[in-house]
Amino acid sequence: MISKQSIIVAKWEFLRFFKWKQQLISYLLMMSVVAAVALWSYFTDESRSVYRIAVPANFTISNSEQFEFQRPTIALSEQLAQLTQQQTWHGVVTLADNEVVLHTLAAKKWQQQLETELNDFFRQQYALELNLTAEQLAQLEQPISLEFAYLDENFKGKDTPEKMIALAVLILLFIGLSTAFGQVLLSITGEKQQRVTEQLYAIVTPQQWMDGKVLGHSLSAMKAMLTSALVMLLSYIVVSVFVSDNGIDFNWLNCTVLAWLVPFALLGVLLSAYFMGAIAASIDDPNTSGKGAVMMITWLPMLFTFLVIDSPTGNAMTVLSWLPLTSFAAMPVRMAMVELAWWQPALSLLLLIASLYWLRRLAGRIFLRGMQMYGKEPSWGQIVGWALSNKTE
Amino acid sequence: MQLIVTAISKDYGNIAAVSQVSFQINSGDIFALLGPNGAGKSSIIRMLVGMTLPDSGSILVSHQDQHYDHVPRRLLGYLPEDRGLYPDKSIEKNLLYLAQLHGLTKQKALKEMAHWLEVFELTERRHEDLKQLSKGNQQKVQLIAAVLHRPALVILDEPFSGLDPLNQEKVVVFLKALKAQGMTVILSAHQMAMVEKLADHMLLMAQGKIILAGTLADIKQQAGLQRQMMISCTEPVALEQLQQWLPDLDIQALSSTRFSIKLAPQHSVSASLKQLLNQLELSQVEMQAPDLHQLYLTAMANHQCKDQA
Repeated sequence: MISKQSIIVAKWEFLRFFKWKQQLISYLLMMSVVAAVALWSYFTDESRSVYRIAVPANFTISNSEQFEFQRPTIALSEQLAQLTQQQTWHGVVTLADNEVVLHTLAAKKWQQQLETELNDFFRQQYALELNLTAEQLAQLEQPISLEFAYLDENFKGKDTPEKMIALAVLILLFIGLSTAFGQVLLSITGEKQQRVTEQLYAIVTPQQWMDGKVLGHSLSAMKAMLTSALVMLLSYIVVSVFVSDNGIDFNWLNCTVLAWLVPFALLGVLLSAYFMGAIAASIDDPNTSGKGAVMMITWLPMLFTFLVIDSPTGNAMTVLSWLPLTSFAAMPVRMAMVELAWWQPALSLLLLIASLYWLRRLAGRIFLRGMQMYGKEPSWGQIVGWALSNKTE
Repeated sequence: MQLIVTAISKDYGNIAAVSQVSFQINSGDIFALLGPNGAGKSSIIRMLVGMTLPDSGSILVSHQDQHYDHVPRRLLGYLPEDRGLYPDKSIEKNLLYLAQLHGLTKQKALKEMAHWLEVFELTERRHEDLKQLSKGNQQKVQLIAAVLHRPALVILDEPFSGLDPLNQEKVVVFLKALKAQGMTVILSAHQMAMVEKLADHMLLMAQGKIILAGTLADIKQQAGLQRQMMISCTEPVALEQLQQWLPDLDIQALSSTRFSIKLAPQHSVSASLKQLLNQLELSQVEMQAPDLHQLYLTAMANHQCKDQA
């Protein structure tokens, strides 16, 4: 089905946009930025400092890790003067008519923690006044735990790990298609501008040319998705090991869902790349044509799926998961969240393959007809006419 | 490879780009398509390449006892009018890519490339990006790209454009080398001097129609352009006297001792000269045949007159 010539074109296109030195530099740059942000956060972390807070003498609040409460005997005006001039204290707390006021030089992040600690202190004071025991107080502070019982047996749950995987795939698809979008447009219209197309036409058929282009840029898209997935995975490992101190746990990875996700994602990238290729092939001059923006339609499946992700059993998600132009994004998400019979994703996949075949032929046809028009851009009416006709040359 | 083109026509909307054009190209010939811009040369080339189909008429291609209704891609080498390669890639990478698309192995492609780069004196520059080369050198790379796979038929749309006279001569040598290797060459050009040196057959077109066709000699005959004999006499002679000696010929006096005599195809040079030498002494005799450039201009002027009439 895919000729040797198409493979050569695909390899050429992939390597044309694969600048490993620049890629390496961009990764190093990204890592440097992350490291700089981490270092900045570490050195500006206010939670590691101890703050001295002046409180009224009758405050029985105890010192905590972050706050040292002092009870000065001097007048409030003097306390405030010292706060301003000598910075003896980081803050001065006053209580007047049941209103607590924190006097500081300016707003700081540590003040939120102080607010929490003051709230806890006052809550305990009120509890003591009401003669509540510590258990009663704990019960009052405990939020209501609402359990969800889903009667639809097929619904796997609201925030399952599978949903997270599906969401990650949506993000990866978006990254992949954004990569393909730029490259397909640049490569096809650029080749026309550089007058290479006519030369290539004499060597390979329009279909071989289109197949090669789409394969090459789909590979680039998949490479972008794979590297982004690795970055996501690395981030997860770093957070699990160094931040949460939990160790690495991959039990949440559902291999069945993953096995379905991969073909849907790959076919989705190919389908979108063929669509982009068809539109780009109909553009004669990207500087004057308005058709380039139409290629962004390929982002809609992800957007629509994202909009209905919280209703995986709803009609909208069902329709999206069957429609061949959106199923590559919607079906994996639906599968991740709802238990489906095996034939449903299988049939959806078959429909997707059939659409891919049709779009592949159409893209080749548009390129051929576009070449025959010499400097004239086909109208939308003509493109629709070619899409409906099955005539091949 | 032999091509028989029969009554092909191609319209673009209301414009008849090519009208009922027929010609034949024999294997190993260099065939030139001549004509002003918009004459229909590129339209014919695009039909031969298979980029467009004729609205009517037929193209029959014969190669090694096989017959086709278009030129098979594997047998074709093509230099399009709108040309260009990948400017940010080296000569070697550009050529290797196109050669591999033609089905050549990397080893074979490199061998062929080395030969042609040597011919065009580009060997030392093969690792340079195309954008670093002059327009002429880019053109040479494009020519190499068209023949790297040793096709049976090479179609070159204006191969001399953008080249200086020295490089035009190099292309003439290059095309003769292709012919020597048995390749059939079709080219379109405006450089008549180059075409005159190369073409076995030619087709002169205007407004999509054939004006003149055949070998250079055929075309000269069809155009009716006369040879001229320039004579210089040792002593002054009156024009009337000369006219008496050569009554059928058109004679013009350039000076009292120098004359231009137009010879129609039926007139013999030796007979006319003999007649003159019987009467007077000549210090110089010079034959001037009309070149393709003159022929082209005359044919186009005649066509315009007919068209206006």
